Amino acid sequence: MKMKNHDSAMAIHISNLSYRYGNQAVLEHIDVDIAAGRFTVVLGKNGCGKSTLFRLIAGFLKSNDGEISLFGRSIATFSDRERARILGFLPQHHRPVFPFTVLDVVLTGRAGHVQFTPKEEDRLLAHQALVRIGITALERRLFTELSGGEQQLVMLARILAQKPQIILLDEPISHLDFAYQAKVMNIIGELVRENITVVAILHDPNIAALYGDDFLCLKDGRLIDGYDRRQLPSEVLEKVYGIKLTVIQFAEKNLVMPTRKVDHAVDD
Amino acid sequence: MKQRKSTNQSLLLGLVLATVLAIQPFTVQASEVRDFRGRATNLPKPAQRVVCLIESALSGLYMLGAQDKVVAVSTNVYQEEVHRYYAAMDPRIAGKKLPTPGNWDFVNIESIVALQPDLVIIWASQTVAIDALVDKGVAVYAVELHSFEDVFKEIGDFGVLFGKEARAGELLGYAAKELAALAESRTGLTVGDRPGVYFMWAQGAMETSGAPSTVNDLIELAGGRNVAGHMRQEHLVINPEHILTWQPQVIIMWRNPKLSPKELATMPVWQSLPAAKTGRIHELPSVFYCDLWTLKFLHAIKLIATWCQPDKFPLSDSSGSKRHLLKTLYGAELGERIPLDE
Amino acid sequence: MTNKVKIALLLLLPIPVLLGSLFIGPSVAVAPGRVIAWLAMRLGLTPADGSPAATMVQLVIEDVRGPRVLLAFLVGGSLSIAGVALQAMFRNPLVSSYILGLQSGTAFGAALALCTAWLPVQLSAFVFGLLAVFTSFFLARKDGKISSVTLILSGIVVTGIFTALLTIVQVLTDPFKLQAVVHWTMGNLHTASWAKLRTTWWLMAMGIGGLFFFRWRMNVLALGDDETRAVGLNPERQKAWLLLFSTLAASAAVSVAGVIGMVGLVIPHMVRMLIGADNKMAVPVCFTFGGAFLVLVDNISRTVVTFEIPIGIFTTLIGGPFFILLLKKAKIGWELE
Repeated sequence: MKMKNHDSAMAIHISNLSYRYGNQAVLEHIDVDIAAGRFTVVLGKNGCGKSTLFRLIAGFLKSNDGEISLFGRSIATFSDRERARILGFLPQHHRPVFPFTVLDVVLTGRAGHVQFTPKEEDRLLAHQALVRIGITALERRLFTELSGGEQQLVMLARILAQKPQIILLDEPISHLDFAYQAKVMNIIGELVRENITVVAILHDPNIAALYGDDFLCLKDGRLIDGYDRRQLPSEVLEKVYGIKLTVIQFAEKNLVMPTRKVDHAVDD
Repeated sequence: MKQRKSTNQSLLLGLVLATVLAIQPFTVQASEVRDFRGRATNLPKPAQRVVCLIESALSGLYMLGAQDKVVAVSTNVYQEEVHRYYAAMDPRIAGKKLPTPGNWDFVNIESIVALQPDLVIIWASQTVAIDALVDKGVAVYAVELHSFEDVFKEIGDFGVLFGKEARAGELLGYAAKELAALAESRTGLTVGDRPGVYFMWAQGAMETSGAPSTVNDLIELAGGRNVAGHMRQEHLVINPEHILTWQPQVIIMWRNPKLSPKELATMPVWQSLPAAKTGRIHELPSVFYCDLWTLKFLHAIKLIATWCQPDKFPLSDSSGSKRHLLKTLYGAELGERIPLDE
Repeated sequence: MTNKVKIALLLLLPIPVLLGSLFIGPSVAVAPGRVIAWLAMRLGLTPADGSPAATMVQLVIEDVRGPRVLLAFLVGGSLSIAGVALQAMFRNPLVSSYILGLQSGTAFGAALALCTAWLPVQLSAFVFGLLAVFTSFFLARKDGKISSVTLILSGIVVTGIFTALLTIVQVLTDPFKLQAVVHWTMGNLHTASWAKLRTTWWLMAMGIGGLFFFRWRMNVLALGDDETRAVGLNPERQKAWLLLFSTLAASAAVSVAGVIGMVGLVIPHMVRMLIGADNKMAVPVCFTFGGAFLVLVDNISRTVVTFEIPIGIFTTLIGGPFFILLLKKAKIGWELE
């Protein structure tokens, strides 16, 4: 079922979302709209609830408090397959066990579209995904023999094979080397220009600033408010990370560096 | 030549018996009796309190008239298959009054010692229990039976151990006579006269015995030829193709609660055999009457002889001959009481 | 040789193996020439020969070797295909149905039946095999979710329970029945018959068929639970189906042939080494290759000695060292979770 793409549509609408794990409150009163066709970055310290938020949007977790909808339709009404045809999700850790070929791995992305066994057109789409990412040279290689960066590119291709309109990426570049970080961020930029909505959790605020369009900051399960979300002011970042930052201007972007002699007592 | 061999075999058995009979009353004391391990029992005088953990040995004790010395039996004596026979002979067993401190598998050392026996009869394979009993100072007679000669030895030894040498002599004499008679009736049997016999154990249709084995002796003495006789194993599982190659004329099944001769005759592969086509599949009818570990093996031989050589050994009045066998082996009084199962 | 050619050869392998195995057996009387004569007669090329020799040959081939070879093939195939499915499901190439308690459950069921007069052995073995696996499954379930680790742990518990029960049965029974239990547990195909095939082939077929349908989904599952959910499949539901089908096939196989070790574990490895890890092809090839493998091993067990040695001994003696070799090589590039 294809969703109509509105121009200034909200790809993801979250209203009053809370989530508890046992007695612990993980997310509290999250209210946010994520615009379609833009690159939204989510930042925050470890344990602030970013991954949980993603898992809720991706339908892995269910919350009784609050509403999430994709392109105007509540996620509770999606079946797993329907959701997979709209939304792609790249979880944080992946440990490959079996020596599948790269093509076979990418092909699994078609599971939401396939009955039991993929057809020729699915193989074609998988191949096209490899072309799109630029890794056709890896097509017949064994996934387990690739480098971390190459594996991540393959997983991106896998998501593309789903033909999604929204892509969620949980720390997609945290374990990659410098060159692959750049590669992945460039690909994300291209996808956004093709009108795919990308939401990514990044650990590096500078990379976020360089590539992102919109910025969400989570602290202790709440979204930090009171700033233009198309910017990433250093004061907000100081609140998020709890350290003093020095700003460096570069090509109309503000980059930040932790101020020397970090005083851990600077907390809000 | 086969028929010479089994005639020789019977003669040899008879000779062994005669020797055993001749020597025993004069030279062997209870203390000097050696069991199947070759160890002396060291009993100072004939046993007064015995724990008998082997059902077939218990039968032997009743045959010798030494049952009053029994203070405990094995658990399977109270099981359905054999209980009623012993119950008929002994009110203690009918009332399940005798304790059952063990069987072929488990043995309760404490219970046995508490009974203060002067002798325990037990399978030689139960080495752990035997060691424990010997350690506690209990005299042990360990049994291991691989042939009919072994059965004779057991009876002979029991005769000395219980002071029933005369009775033992009677029993063994009777057995010798029967075997000699069988041997005689078999003289002149050529290989061609002997039908191929396949013996089937109850655990599985493909389980049989090769040679040397009690089953092999059984078949040979009865005038048949064990089709598996060239296999050098006492108990083995064979491939069904062998049966088709051997084409047995007679099939003898050990008592089998799960399969009857009629059923076997209709099963694929088996139904093509001469034994099935001519209705010569037989089942040994009783675990008690046909017990190969007692002198009752004579009854089994007679049955098998009838099945193998129906002309030479026509079916006699079976209940009459059964009764005769019982009275001869168990004595006139007990032999009368045992139910016939007709 | 390209992969496609390898796969085609492996899928066609059963035909020559099954046919050739009809020539193999302990009877000297059933010489190869006679087997060919039988074949010609069956194909209608020559008229039937009523001689006793020819009749016996026909009997041997059609009632003894035929069902045995077919049964060995089905059993080997079922165990192998169940093995590859479980390995995908657990994301662990060292897993087989052993770990879920299937073998100990069936052994207990068989022992119970062998030691009581009225319970049919095959049925009892099959039912208790299913029971063991489903007990492991439901023990491990929490809020509708099953993690592989908890499933393996409950499998260990269930195995322990059924092994203890089996020991109780063994202790309480007489030496003859005990021997029968031990024989059964070691695996046997010598009692193969058309009747046995009739009672189990459809169960194995159901399991095999189901796993055939799900074979590509095994690829998806094998990448991880989150990865599976991300592309639109519910991992718990897929695992439940895979578990159902593989247990049907494996339990039916074990109930009719006893415990045959190593096959479900080693064949998937061999197949993956030969043609790669893609389950779309590995699943059917595991069936044909595993089936042919067991037929060949049974051929050895049928001819090397005149009496019957349980086939489980051979598969373990051949499969065990081979498995150690595999572990040492580790060239295939898989890592343990």
